[in-house]
Amino acid sequence: MVQEEEEKLQLLRDILLIDDRQVADAIAQRIDLITETIEKKEKLSEKVDPIIEERLTRFVSEIPVSLGPVITQTLKEEIENSKEQVVEALYPIMGKMIKRYIQHEIEMLSENINKKVNNTFSLISFKRKIRARFTGVRESDLMISEIDAPLVNELFVIQKGSGLLLGNYSNTSRVDKDMVSGMLTAIKSFVEDAFDGGNQDLESIEYELYKIHIQNFHTYYIAAVISGTYSRSFENILENKLLKLSKSLSSSISSLTKEEIDGILKRFFQKWRVPKK
Amino acid sequence: MPSSKKIVMLGHFGVGKTSLVRRYVDSAFSEDYLVTLGVQVKSKEVNYKGETIKLIIWDIEGNTSLDLARKSYLMGSQGFVYVFDVTRPETFNHLQSELDFLGTNYSKVPYVLVGNKKDLISSDQIQQQFSDNIFQNTTFTSAKEGENVESFFLDLLTQLI
Repeated sequence: MVQEEEEKLQLLRDILLIDDRQVADAIAQRIDLITETIEKKEKLSEKVDPIIEERLTRFVSEIPVSLGPVITQTLKEEIENSKEQVVEALYPIMGKMIKRYIQHEIEMLSENINKKVNNTFSLISFKRKIRARFTGVRESDLMISEIDAPLVNELFVIQKGSGLLLGNYSNTSRVDKDMVSGMLTAIKSFVEDAFDGGNQDLESIEYELYKIHIQNFHTYYIAAVISGTYSRSFENILENKLLKLSKSLSSSISSLTKEEIDGILKRFFQKWRVPKK
Repeated sequence: MPSSKKIVMLGHFGVGKTSLVRRYVDSAFSEDYLVTLGVQVKSKEVNYKGETIKLIIWDIEGNTSLDLARKSYLMGSQGFVYVFDVTRPETFNHLQSELDFLGTNYSKVPYVLVGNKKDLISSDQIQQQFSDNIFQNTTFTSAKEGENVESFFLDLLTQLI
């Protein structure tokens, strides 16, 4: 009787619990698989890598749009607020660049001097030796001055007062010559007014590698833009040349057209053989 | 080759001399006010009755009176543009003495009178406020909108040639 009841009870248990057990087994298997995936690096990376990669690609493509302006603004503010630190940081880099540039220039200079020394028996060298002997200037100094010989790049004939351009000769045509002559006259007038020296004239303006030599005449002045080493001796030569030029200009400056003055300046340039580098 | 004419812009600070020149030469305008220090020279080639003329425009710094303007900037001028601001009476209150100064010292140099910033007041206000004889030949302009800017330069050019 008891055995029979036990069998019935077992049957009932089987009927009631068999499905749950199967489900529990399936869940346990699934958990094992997930645990294995999480705990084993290779398996985890197989699943996660494509997602991260996709997100990264999207992030990278969105950076310039979303973060670009913020980064730019932040950098600007940081640079503005910490100028000294920026200078500190850039100083070694700039220093190296400048050093390299100077080294390069010195190499070029040394090459040029070598060429000239090797060319000892040329006619130019002979002339230089004679010049050195008669002028008392050392031959080496003459050599160096030849390397960076002065060059007249532009010549302006400008009416005094009005600043109107009467004539011009130039190797370049980059800027409006009328504006240049106006501004030169304005600067000249300003300096002459500001430092009241009793009818004194501004005679030169220097800016980095250029020098503007100004020679004043009665109704006009001539401005010559010069590059290279502007020595006192070159200034004398230039002054004499411009005086000679003024002889052909002064008498008829008011009746000459701009084209005629341009022509005179062109011929002046062609005749004048500036020492070449 | 065009002939060149030197024109000088005169008037108080902030009346719009530089803006008028910018509008005329570069066809541009900016709301930002930058005071002119010293002088700024601009040029523009114009065709007038078949002849090409190059205007060299000297836009000099503003002064409360022409007495105070640097004389060397005015030397050799062939035309003047006297500009005042229609919204600021202090820029035209002493107009008569300013024009007398030009008449005494530069009697042979033609000039035009320009009332700038007309976009800031109504036409009725202009008519009421500037009915005196002294304003008779004034050209009212707006550098901002480009109104009448070409016309006063043309007017001066007509007097120059």
